[in-house]
Amino acid sequence: MKTRFPQAYVLNVMADDRPGIVAAVSGVIVALGGNIDACSQTVLGGYFTQILVVSFPQIVEVADLAARIRKSAPPGGALEVAARPYMAPPASAGRGPTERFVITALGRDKPGVIHRFSAYLAGKDINIVDLYWDCAGEDFVLIAQVEIPKRWEMGLLQADLDEIGREEGFNVRVQHENIFVATNQLRLYGGGHR
Amino acid sequence: MLRTDEILSTIQMLHAEHLDVRTVTLGLSVSDCAATNVDNVCRKLREKILRRASNLVRVCDRIGAKYGIPVTNKRLAISPAANLLAGHGVGAALQVAQTLDEAVRECQIDLVGGFTALVHKGISSGDAIVMESLPWVLSSTQRVCASVNVASHRAGINMDAVRQMGELLLKIADATAAQRGFGCAKLVVFSNIPEDNPFMAGAYHGDGEADAAINIGVSGPGVVCSALRRRIQLGGQLTLGDLAEEIKITSFRVTRVGELIGREVAAELGIPFGIVDLSLAPTPQVGDSVGEILRTLGIEKIGAPGSTAAVAMLTDAVKKGGAFASSSVGGMSGAFIPVSEDAALAEAAAKGHLTLEKLEAMTSVCSVGLDMIAIPGDTPPETIAAIIADEMAIGVINNKTTGVRLIPVPGGKAGDFVEFGGLFGSATVMDIRNAGASAAFVRLGGRIPAPIQSLRN
Repeated sequence: MKTRFPQAYVLNVMADDRPGIVAAVSGVIVALGGNIDACSQTVLGGYFTQILVVSFPQIVEVADLAARIRKSAPPGGALEVAARPYMAPPASAGRGPTERFVITALGRDKPGVIHRFSAYLAGKDINIVDLYWDCAGEDFVLIAQVEIPKRWEMGLLQADLDEIGREEGFNVRVQHENIFVATNQLRLYGGGHR
Repeated sequence: MLRTDEILSTIQMLHAEHLDVRTVTLGLSVSDCAATNVDNVCRKLREKILRRASNLVRVCDRIGAKYGIPVTNKRLAISPAANLLAGHGVGAALQVAQTLDEAVRECQIDLVGGFTALVHKGISSGDAIVMESLPWVLSSTQRVCASVNVASHRAGINMDAVRQMGELLLKIADATAAQRGFGCAKLVVFSNIPEDNPFMAGAYHGDGEADAAINIGVSGPGVVCSALRRRIQLGGQLTLGDLAEEIKITSFRVTRVGELIGREVAAELGIPFGIVDLSLAPTPQVGDSVGEILRTLGIEKIGAPGSTAAVAMLTDAVKKGGAFASSSVGGMSGAFIPVSEDAALAEAAAKGHLTLEKLEAMTSVCSVGLDMIAIPGDTPPETIAAIIADEMAIGVINNKTTGVRLIPVPGGKAGDFVEFGGLFGSATVMDIRNAGASAAFVRLGGRIPAPIQSLRN
């Protein structure tokens, strides 16, 4: 990933969700003359979490950067902050060509489902790039956006997941992401994937 | 990154509402299989089909699995058999049809269309052989489908051909009497036949097409119906405009599924992608019904006043959504109302709510015609021809495709129940009013001239 300034860092911020957190964090970056190069955040169960890649023209001590952000916390609770230098390329590089798929599972909730499922994916060198889990009453919905190495035969993966689903009592499907792009967005294909 | 709500809504459409790709149809020109000796014709035909189509089923299944969407039917549509049969005889026609039947069976392809004659202005020698052979072909083969184009916007209606088709339908029904006249379910009489239609029984590969093309038919009545019900359950002051919008959005999504799968199948087979046919194609499965959509739109008894307006709105909304989703829309692209193949329509016909005349009115605003309608086996041939002529007139005057797939049930009387099985469903034999009262008109023969609207240049 290309950053605006040469000295890049990755930050993680967690807090009780409330107004003002993003303003506080970004305020510290601006004050140090830096730039936010990428950012993703979510709010789950009343908790806020954010991951950022930031860069500065000058070297910044990671401990100092984290301390400044903690100090900027708006009223209503502390900010938990982790910071480290951003190293490119990321660890996921060099895994060979992959394609984006979406795995969905629906069934009766019980402890250990995500572990069983993710342990199987890990064993197949399948990277989870986005994971969503929600329970409505006793039932759960799992949506995992994953990168599957092109060397795998999809029919066999689906058969393995079916087997796990049967044992654990849920329905699971693996489908190429383009079907979701085509049916929801204005373009037919996802970015660069065919 | 995809949004969770997008993924969930697609999952619902694909799995809870059973969206499938109804058909991937390989269009294939077989004009290079012509020969003076029929054995050579059959040998070349078989070789070409095995060479071009033997991978179709495997590729469709693999790509269906990749996207989690079944491709229900894999079909073949050839260029008109009449072109191969000029200079041969009825025996040769039968031999060609049996070769087709056998070759597609080997490729595990469900049906093959294109046993076709184009006779809208006149009947050539090859066309005459195709037409004459239909009772034998449709009774002695399993997978061969036939079509005869008897009318066009530019040529008018060939009433000699229409009259012959009236007689032929009875002969085909007799030849397949043990199956209640089922042979007629594999034959469509058309006006303005499309050259790239993927749906059976009327698919054929037109002369304007490349050597081969992949054409797609999507399903969708069940998905449209569920989307409408969900929208209605959300409440609020809904108008028909709001419901048309919902149909349009659903049609967009359904069409996209077809285009995505079609393009990938075509690329993998190394064959040009042709078209997506937007037609809502019902099946006898409960819920997968155009009739059910009309009920959801508030037509309590299908065939009641308002049915024509409802089906017009449905067809138009489907076209608008589909046309935005794909730049390759073709085929028939409307809403099918095949009586036996649609549980709600079959029920309405059985209860007497839906009559032949109302069906005819509905076909004037949607594709595709009087489809899969069982009629009494003693209907006079001139009356069958006159029913065909009426439907052809709707197509010719409105410059649209219309088709007729009538099944005279041998020994069947109005009100009898007949079962055709599988995708063909079951139906109650419909009453034909004023049977025999148009014989003199039909016997005049000749050609009903092309309408004034055909002079467009």
